[in-house]
Amino acid sequence: MSTQLLVVDDLHTTFRTAAGLVAAVGGVSFDLATNETVGIVGESGSGKTVLARTIMGLQPRSNVEVRGSVLLDGHQVVGASEREMRERWATDVSMVFQDPMTSLNPVMRIGRQIDETLRVRLGMDKRAARARAIELLAMVGMPSAEHRYRAYPTQLSGGMRQRVVIATALACSPKLLIADEPTTGLDVTIQAQILNLLDDLKEQLHMSVILITHDLGVVATRTSRIIVMYAGRIVEMGATRDVFFRHRMPYTRALLESSPKVSNPSHTRLRVIPGRPPNLSTLTSGCAFAPRCSSASERCHQERPSLEPAEEPGHVFACWHPLAATELHEAPR
Amino acid sequence: MLRYVLRRLTLLIGIVWVISVGSFYLIHLLPGDPATVILGTGASPANRAILYRQLGLNKPIIEQYFVWMGNILHGNLGTSFISETSVASTIRTALPIDVELIVLSQILAFAAAIPLAMRSARKPNGVLDRILSAGSFTLLSIPSFIIIVLLVLVVSIKLGIANTGPSSYVSLGSDWVVNLESLALPAFTLAVGSFVIYFRVLRSDLIATLQEEFITMARSKGLRQRRIMWRHAFRPSSVALLGAAGVNIGGLLAGGFVVEYLLGIPGLGYTLITGIASSDYLLVQGIVLVVSVGVVLINFVFDFIISVVDPRITRE
Amino acid sequence: MSSVLDDVVDPEALAPKRLGALFWICVGWLALNVLGAIFANVLPLVNPLYQNYNAINAGPSLHHWLGTDDLGRDILSRIVYGSRVSITVGIGAMVIGFGIGLPLGMLAAFRRGRLDSLLTAFMYVFLAFPAIIAVIAVLSFWTPRSLFKIIVVIGLASVPLVYRVIRTATLAVAARDFVTAAKVQGATDRRILVKELLPNIAPIAVSFLLIGVATVVTLEGVLAFLGLSVNPPTPSWGNMINESRTVMAQNPWLVLFPSLALCLFLLCLNFIGDRLRTYFDVTEVKL
Repeated sequence: MSTQLLVVDDLHTTFRTAAGLVAAVGGVSFDLATNETVGIVGESGSGKTVLARTIMGLQPRSNVEVRGSVLLDGHQVVGASEREMRERWATDVSMVFQDPMTSLNPVMRIGRQIDETLRVRLGMDKRAARARAIELLAMVGMPSAEHRYRAYPTQLSGGMRQRVVIATALACSPKLLIADEPTTGLDVTIQAQILNLLDDLKEQLHMSVILITHDLGVVATRTSRIIVMYAGRIVEMGATRDVFFRHRMPYTRALLESSPKVSNPSHTRLRVIPGRPPNLSTLTSGCAFAPRCSSASERCHQERPSLEPAEEPGHVFACWHPLAATELHEAPR
Repeated sequence: MLRYVLRRLTLLIGIVWVISVGSFYLIHLLPGDPATVILGTGASPANRAILYRQLGLNKPIIEQYFVWMGNILHGNLGTSFISETSVASTIRTALPIDVELIVLSQILAFAAAIPLAMRSARKPNGVLDRILSAGSFTLLSIPSFIIIVLLVLVVSIKLGIANTGPSSYVSLGSDWVVNLESLALPAFTLAVGSFVIYFRVLRSDLIATLQEEFITMARSKGLRQRRIMWRHAFRPSSVALLGAAGVNIGGLLAGGFVVEYLLGIPGLGYTLITGIASSDYLLVQGIVLVVSVGVVLINFVFDFIISVVDPRITRE
Repeated sequence: MSSVLDDVVDPEALAPKRLGALFWICVGWLALNVLGAIFANVLPLVNPLYQNYNAINAGPSLHHWLGTDDLGRDILSRIVYGSRVSITVGIGAMVIGFGIGLPLGMLAAFRRGRLDSLLTAFMYVFLAFPAIIAVIAVLSFWTPRSLFKIIVVIGLASVPLVYRVIRTATLAVAARDFVTAAKVQGATDRRILVKELLPNIAPIAVSFLLIGVATVVTLEGVLAFLGLSVNPPTPSWGNMINESRTVMAQNPWLVLFPSLALCLFLLCLNFIGDRLRTYFDVTEVKL
């Protein structure tokens, strides 16, 4: 591994709401090397999106408290002002948003939305920015890019819009790209196209990528490491292979069993994780997954397990009753 | 786009037609003989005969309508029996004054409402937002006829600023400085009412728009607040503003007479009121027709502008 | 930005619901106005037409709390009596407007079909016609003037507006499941209209009613301004403001007090209407 591009240390993001404090991210630490792709997985509500936005310094300014440290390319993000972050967004770090239906301005031509970044951030003139924007559109696989430059988002399909969002995020060649559920709203066939595209671009542009998803199938072949999040905390983290085949945390297994696999015969019933993700404003001192866990004991409800190393290097998990280490779990797709 | 415009145009023509029937029929809705309504009870038989010929009153009502409509399409709204001048020429002199007044007031209103709404929306429920919201809500409850009376009381009577009081109007052509001075108070009054509407509409829309994901995305591109506000938030938020402006400007054309009447500014509204006072039926009918059509046209124009500003509208 | 929060919190919990003290102050002020208008005769007020030649254009004093006008008439008394005209017109016109507009709007939205298309087309044509011009035109040629005619004309002119608001509101409610459920259970149309739909559109109807009264009271002021309201010397707020214009240089109180009475009345109506809308979480229905 080369130098660390991103070092996240004991990061907390807490929202002050009428319903009390909500610890959306509760003490997350991990790092990311240059040109590495890491996947963050978890159900919706597990704090993935908040984590991503905190790493970017993009959360709303009021009623939110951030503690800990996010070193991005050697510079601290936590506590940086919007003005300081403005200098780093798009060039150091940028984000592919979840829903291409809402993340593009509906009344602006898509070309303008791409080239305004180029003009504002890179100081390109109108003509150069336009040429570059068309180039970017072509790069993300937009057919007849020159023509589409003048299209409005409503004139494009969901997949095409997501390509526009990606082109915008890549416009200033960021060092880190955070893709927040980039394929959730898209058809299955389009999903694969978009993910492959991100993969190719990562190699081409030497980026690091954080790929956030609730679908383990999405990250299986495209990441070097996987972080599993539950209720705002990391519950298991390790090399992709290890997480898939030697996971120790029951939640990870539950997630794996709830995602469809090609190897299964069609119409196989998916296992559903019983219960619902916990309410983050009423977390207890115990393991947050305990109420839904079949092997939970009294201790799980009282005391929260911390991350402990597994046998494999870099593999950690937080569980009082881990699954047997030797057990080779069912192969993913 | 073209289909959208055509559809609106058909609707427009339909409404204008109904308005013409309404204005035409107004006289028959009133009790008594039309000739008596128009000429008053003391009219001479000779005048009555002229009127009957002019309006074709002895013919069947459908035919009367076509005679009347034909005249109007030729720009002939009849000749007032009171002032003995052509109604059309009276309207031609009066209308530009309303246009000037409305343009002035709208410049003022937008110049104040847009930046203030942006400031307010940046921090909803902040100190500035609370003050502006409460202030605009209070202004909302002050009728324009009270504002103009109080302004005249303070500015032209107590402060004694020249050319701002009643009957100081001078046409734009003869002395534009005095003209602007004489229109200052009425323009300001109309601007206050418009400002309140525009501020409230734009503020709430901006607040909603600023919550949108594409605003977060614009932030993540490293754009400055000002640019995000103007380029990304303002345009999608301005649809309701434009709709409100269309209705409001139409309302000013129809309801601006209060300020004109008080200050003796000879616009359409003032002319309408004097026409009513002197029972000048043809003049009233002509102005009602012109104003109604004007209101409908203004709404149509604004609908069109909206469809240009927001491409989503025509694609429903 | 809220989308981040939606992920983790229930947005409902963010806004606690209360009507607030100001709301009740406004209700109290309106009640005071209405009671004053009803009981003006039995209140210890000077006759509003009595001309006291010893106190002409007098400022506020112990004897005349709000002073007197250019004919020596007591301003306070005239404001209280004047509220009768404004409130009568405001309520009377809305009784007519809602009496016709509400049942038609509900019926059209509930039955849909031919009835709805016809009624709606008819009403929208009237909406295109500037109501204020129509009111002035009719009132100016329908002589002699009377309070009754003013109420009827304004009331009729408001029908299309009421119709539109009620119809839109009813359409939204009628599409909801409980109405369908009632239909399936074989409830009569009348029962559905009165028991299911009416209570659900009531918040919109009431807040629109209040704003409607405010609009009508303003309109009466405009008419008075043009000399088209009740004939002097009967006081109305609009009449008082209009008459005072000629002498306001000498006696500014004459303009200020009736203006203040009118504005406070309108402010309270608007505030209550606005609060009710927020309280019942009614999405903005455009007037």
